[in-house]
Amino acid sequence: MPFKIIDHTADVAIIAYGNSIEDLFESACLGWKFISLETQIENFELSKKFLFSSSSYEELLIELLNELNFQLYANKFVFLKINKLTLTKVDSSIQLNVEAAGQKYNPEIHTIKEEIKGVTFHQIKIENVNGIFQTKIVFDI
Amino acid sequence: MQVNDIKIEKINDNLWEIPKTAGMNVPGRIYASEKIISQLLNDEALKQVVNVAHLPGIQKYSLAMPDIHWGYGFPIGGVAATDFYDGVISPGGVGYDINCGVRLATTSLNKNEISKRIKTLVENLFKDIPTGVGASGAIKKLSGKEIKNILTNGAEWAVQNGFGNNEDLLFTEENGRLKDANPNSVSKRAIERGLDQAGTLGSGNHFLEIDFVEKIFDQEVAEIFGLFENQIVIQIHTGSRGLGYQICDDYLKLLVQSEKKFGFNLPDKQLACAPIQSDEGQDYLSAMKCAANFAWNNRQIIMHLAKKSFQKTFNISEVELNFQLLYDVSHNIAKIEEHIIDGELKKVCVHRKGATRAFSSQNKTLPEKYFDVGQPVLIPGDMGRYSFISVGTSKAMDETFGSSCHGAGRLQSRNQALKIAKGKNLIEELNKAGVTIQAKGMKTIAEEMPFAYKDVSDVVDVMHNSGISKKVAMLKPIGVIKG
Repeated sequence: MPFKIIDHTADVAIIAYGNSIEDLFESACLGWKFISLETQIENFELSKKFLFSSSSYEELLIELLNELNFQLYANKFVFLKINKLTLTKVDSSIQLNVEAAGQKYNPEIHTIKEEIKGVTFHQIKIENVNGIFQTKIVFDI
Repeated sequence: MQVNDIKIEKINDNLWEIPKTAGMNVPGRIYASEKIISQLLNDEALKQVVNVAHLPGIQKYSLAMPDIHWGYGFPIGGVAATDFYDGVISPGGVGYDINCGVRLATTSLNKNEISKRIKTLVENLFKDIPTGVGASGAIKKLSGKEIKNILTNGAEWAVQNGFGNNEDLLFTEENGRLKDANPNSVSKRAIERGLDQAGTLGSGNHFLEIDFVEKIFDQEVAEIFGLFENQIVIQIHTGSRGLGYQICDDYLKLLVQSEKKFGFNLPDKQLACAPIQSDEGQDYLSAMKCAANFAWNNRQIIMHLAKKSFQKTFNISEVELNFQLLYDVSHNIAKIEEHIIDGELKKVCVHRKGATRAFSSQNKTLPEKYFDVGQPVLIPGDMGRYSFISVGTSKAMDETFGSSCHGAGRLQSRNQALKIAKGKNLIEELNKAGVTIQAKGMKTIAEEMPFAYKDVSDVVDVMHNSGISKKVAMLKPIGVIKG
C-alpha cells in the first residue's frame, strides 16, 4: 500500500510513501480517499484540473488534499485517481499541476466513511529516507 | 517526573507544571490527576502544551484542562490567553470546527413519563434533524443574502425566522452573536459549504442526546438552573459544519505563508498565527466570529426542531412541555475578554480549544438568573455512561481565564475502537445500558462507544476538586441520535 494508517487518539493520521515527490503526492491522495470514502462502482466520468503554487512541497500537498475535500463536499466530486501530476520549479516557487479523475457523488454507490474537517500542518515533513520519500499527515475528523 | 524530554513537576494532586525552558514564553500547567497524567505518557499532548507556550504574547501559563489529549497545534483541552495589543491569534487554537459547542434544554417531563415512548421519540428526532456527513435540508437552502445575515447576527436570525424565542438568546453565550463579524472576511468557498447546512447535526462525535437528571450535587444551584431529579433534558453537540472548516483552512494557509513576514519561528506549523492587531489577525478574528455565529444559529435551529419532535411525539402543547434553554456554551473559540493578570485588568484573546468558558458569579456577561451563582458549564460524557452540569467559580477566573473542561476526551483511537467493537452487537449493548440509539451507520456507533472514551467523572472531579468548576448535577443518557 502506498500509505499506512497510523494511530492518533482523536484524529486520523497516515504516512504516505513514494519513489518521488510526485509519487508521494499521489499516495497521499489515495490515503485521503481511503479514509473518506468507500465506492462500490468506480467509473472515471469526470475529470478536474487544479493548479497551485507555493514555496513549499508540504504546503502544496495540504492544499491539494484540502481541494479534494472541498470538491467532495461543495461540488459533490468524488476523487478516484490521479491522471496526471507534475511539480515544476518556477523561480523561487513550485507549481503543482494535477488532473484528477472521478465521478459525481451518489449516496447509493458512495459511502462516506469519515468526514475530514481539515488536513493539518501538524507534523507534516517530506523526507527522503533511504531513497523513499515519506511524510506523516494528520487529518482532523 | 520526566516524560520523554519534558520535565513535569507535581504542584498538588490535581495540578502539574512544566517549567519554562528555551523558547517557551511561559510555563505549562496541566490540571490532571495521577491517573490522567499516566494516560498522556505515550502521545504528543504534553509536547503540545510546551509548543503553545511559545506563542508570542501568551500570558501566565499554557494551560490544559483534564480532558487533555493529543490534537494538532494546540492539545485538545488547551487554553491560552494572549495580549490583545502585543499578542497573536492562532486558528490552531480554535480548530476546524469553530464554535463547536453544547447546548442543554430542560423540559417539564420526567423519566417515567417518556420511557414507553423513547423509541418513537428517537425515531422522530432522527427523522426531523438532518444528521451525518454533508447532511443538509433542515430548512430551505439559504440565499447568499440570508447566510450573510446569519454570519452577522448568529442565533438572532433563527429566532427572527421562527426557530425559537428571544429568551433563548439570553441563555446563549454572547447571546448567540459575536459582534463585529464581517462576512467580507469569509471566502466564497466557505459560504458555498454553509448554504445548505444550517440546522444540521453533522457526523463524528456530534450528537443529540436525551438524558434524565440522575443525581443532584448542589440543590440550590440546581434549582436556579431549573433542574430536578429524573427530569428529561436534551443536549445538542455540534458546530459550524463545513463553513467553519473552510474558514480555518483558508486562514491557516494564509498565516503559514505569513510566518516569515511576522518573523515567527514556532515549533509546529499548525500554530501559525498573526498579531491580533495586524490586518491578517483582524480578518481571521472577524471570519472566526462569522463561523461562531453560524454555529450558534445552527444549534438554535436544531433545538427548535427537537422541541417540535417532542411535542409531536407526546402530543403536548409548548406550555405543557416547558422546553427551556438552560445554556449554550462554545468549546472551540477565541474570545476577546478582560482578566486580572498580575493584579491588573488586561484585555486578552482567550483561545479555548476543547475547553469551556466557566465564568463565576457576579460576571456582567451572565444572564440575570445566573448572576448570583455563576455560569453553567456543560460537560458531555460518552453516550453510555453520564454527563455533568457544573458551575463556574472565582477560582476559574483567577487561574484558568475562566475556563474548564469540555468532555471526556478520547482514550482509544477510532481504529482501536473499531477493533474492539468487531463482532459485538453494539446497539444491543447500548440498549442493555438503557440507551436507545439511531445513527446513520454502525461505524460511527463503534467509534463512539463508551469504551473509546475516558470516564468523564474523572475529568469533572479534577475540575471540582481544584475548585475551578463545581458539580451541580449528573445526567444519564436514554436516547441518542448521531450522524
